[in-house]
Amino acid sequence: MRARLSELHPIADMDLNEAQTYISASLHSLFEAFQRVPGSAVLIRYVRSSYQNDPIRSAIELILVIFFVRYLLSPSYPTHGSNYIKLREDEIDELVRDWEPEPLVAERTAFEESEAERIPVVVGPTGPKVKLGNGRTVTNLASYNFYNFNASESIKEKAIQTLRTYGVGPCGPPQFYGTQDVHMQTEADIASFLGTQSAIVYAHAFSTITSVIPCFCKRGDVIVADKMVNYSIRKGLEASRSSIRWFNHNDMADLERVMAKVAEEQAKKKILTRRFIVTEGLFEMVGDCSDLPKLIELKERYKFRLALDETNSFGVLGRNGRGLTEAQNVDAEAVDVIVGSLSGPLCAAGGFCAGSADVVRHQRINALAYTYSAALPAMSAVTASETLNVLQCNPDILIQCRENIRAMRAQLDPRSDWVVCTSDPENPIIILVFKPDVIQTRRLSIEDQERLFSDCVEESLVNGVLITRLKTTPLINSLGPKDTDVNIQPALKVCITSGLSKKEIEKAGTTIRHAITKVMTRKTNRLSGSGS
Amino acid sequence: MEPLEPLEQLSDQSALPNLNANWVNAKGAWTIHIVLIVALKILWDVIPGVSQETSWTLTNISYMFGSYIMFHWVRGVPFDFNSGAYDNLNMWEQIDDGAQYTPAKKFLLSVPIVLFLLSTHYTHYDLAYFTINFLAVLGVVIPKLPFVRYPHLKNSHRMRVGLFSGVPDD
Repeated sequence: MRARLSELHPIADMDLNEAQTYISASLHSLFEAFQRVPGSAVLIRYVRSSYQNDPIRSAIELILVIFFVRYLLSPSYPTHGSNYIKLREDEIDELVRDWEPEPLVAERTAFEESEAERIPVVVGPTGPKVKLGNGRTVTNLASYNFYNFNASESIKEKAIQTLRTYGVGPCGPPQFYGTQDVHMQTEADIASFLGTQSAIVYAHAFSTITSVIPCFCKRGDVIVADKMVNYSIRKGLEASRSSIRWFNHNDMADLERVMAKVAEEQAKKKILTRRFIVTEGLFEMVGDCSDLPKLIELKERYKFRLALDETNSFGVLGRNGRGLTEAQNVDAEAVDVIVGSLSGPLCAAGGFCAGSADVVRHQRINALAYTYSAALPAMSAVTASETLNVLQCNPDILIQCRENIRAMRAQLDPRSDWVVCTSDPENPIIILVFKPDVIQTRRLSIEDQERLFSDCVEESLVNGVLITRLKTTPLINSLGPKDTDVNIQPALKVCITSGLSKKEIEKAGTTIRHAITKVMTRKTNRLSGSGS
Repeated sequence: MEPLEPLEQLSDQSALPNLNANWVNAKGAWTIHIVLIVALKILWDVIPGVSQETSWTLTNISYMFGSYIMFHWVRGVPFDFNSGAYDNLNMWEQIDDGAQYTPAKKFLLSVPIVLFLLSTHYTHYDLAYFTINFLAVLGVVIPKLPFVRYPHLKNSHRMRVGLFSGVPDD
């Protein structure tokens, strides 16, 4: 083949030879030049010795080295794209010129306007009877003063004494010189009252559960929560960044379904996270109570922990007011986290969390509201201890209050044509919502109901009984687009107190019932209801 | 399991400097690798009955093993500053906020490769030692590669290789 090629193209053959000699000569000169480079001898020796008659291994090493060099030469780049647009100077100026600041507080709606005008002003101390700004004295069924500890001279005296000794505020967070002996005493009192190992006192009842939830649950953890939980729990759930599963209000079968699903998913993915059930003792929005024995049974079965918000049930349920645990005969130690308030019936301030010693110790440095808020004023802590002591020694107070609750309910629930009571028979906060058929026949929207109840409040105040509405707006505003099935109903709130006699309560109940009837049978309301 | 919340995730990650990963850019952070490797070599040398070849191989695989654990196995940060926003990221992914080809990452990739080339040289290119050392270096080099993406993860610039565990979910 080669011979034939050279016969045909002698010139080509000559060129090939020349090229060959040229290449070998240039390679040789290149090699000599390379040898003159310092260190080249080492490299040549290394390559020679590493070859070792093993081309595959050498090839692997060569590929590794090539990859390595390529990696070193690559330019760096960020993986998060920048989340802003680069603007020119003039564009920035233009945007600044065009910017119109939104008002810090939104313009009030007509309803809010009228609501604000109607807010009654109480002059002097609060109690079962209060004096209003316009000089009238009315029956107060709008405060959480269930046992009228407000009027107790001995408690007041103790608080004043503490104020003289300790001053008003501790002027520091609990971990930063804010803890005083009375705080530790109050914590011990709460723990022994509830029967838990330990307790921790927060400076504000609202922020207690909001802080306790994110203290234990982080991103990736699972929380199963009741759909009707109150605003502060919702804020806590949000702040925890955990993945939240909801179950229908007080529906234990639905809760079990959700828990089983979580357990199954986690078993399949072989992941282990903290799992919590979060629910309330007495629901602020509905007024009914949870089924604690069933909750305990489910949490044990599916290996969850239970955080129970007793803000509305502590001091209320049970023989001595120990809350849901006492009312339903459950050992308080079976509940992992109990959160309660010292500010309602206890007439002090602040909140607490009770549980095992570990649960409490963890919060002392990890709960934001505890670590970064000034501690509770000493007089509030002492007042809480005192009222707890009264509750413990004197369970008759609760019986008296419950009789009043019964008297009030008898006036309202079966007798009124318009409203029903959704709250528990032992709940001194009586929640009244419109009957479903009233809503249906009059086609009442949420706003209509709010307006009607606001009229009812006004009407009953005219007749000498101060009551209030359930404030649903913050909660409804905080609902996401996915929470369409959270059915929060506007409601009237009637707070019972043992500071009034049964007669007075019955009279007030009649007044409220008549006020509701009067508002509902007004001509304008009948028209607007069916017209809208 | 983790909710899809990129903005929240990023804001939580930037809440405080990531002390777990930022030290790789600190003074002396590069030298310590060399110091540790020399220390490992001395440690394996002083054990009687260990030949030079075995000693180099042991140095190599113990360094690779340690760095695999440190950079690719352990996830999250030991501090509770970011509400768990780093819980699903190993240290390699946390370094330089996940940026690729940064000086620190180039250095951290060079150390195992150079150590591997040294150990193959000093084990005199014995095939058995070579195989062991090569597998060890692959174990730490492959998880460092920037370009493989998981199709089910949008905008994923990272790669997880499950040598001992499964691929974690996001």
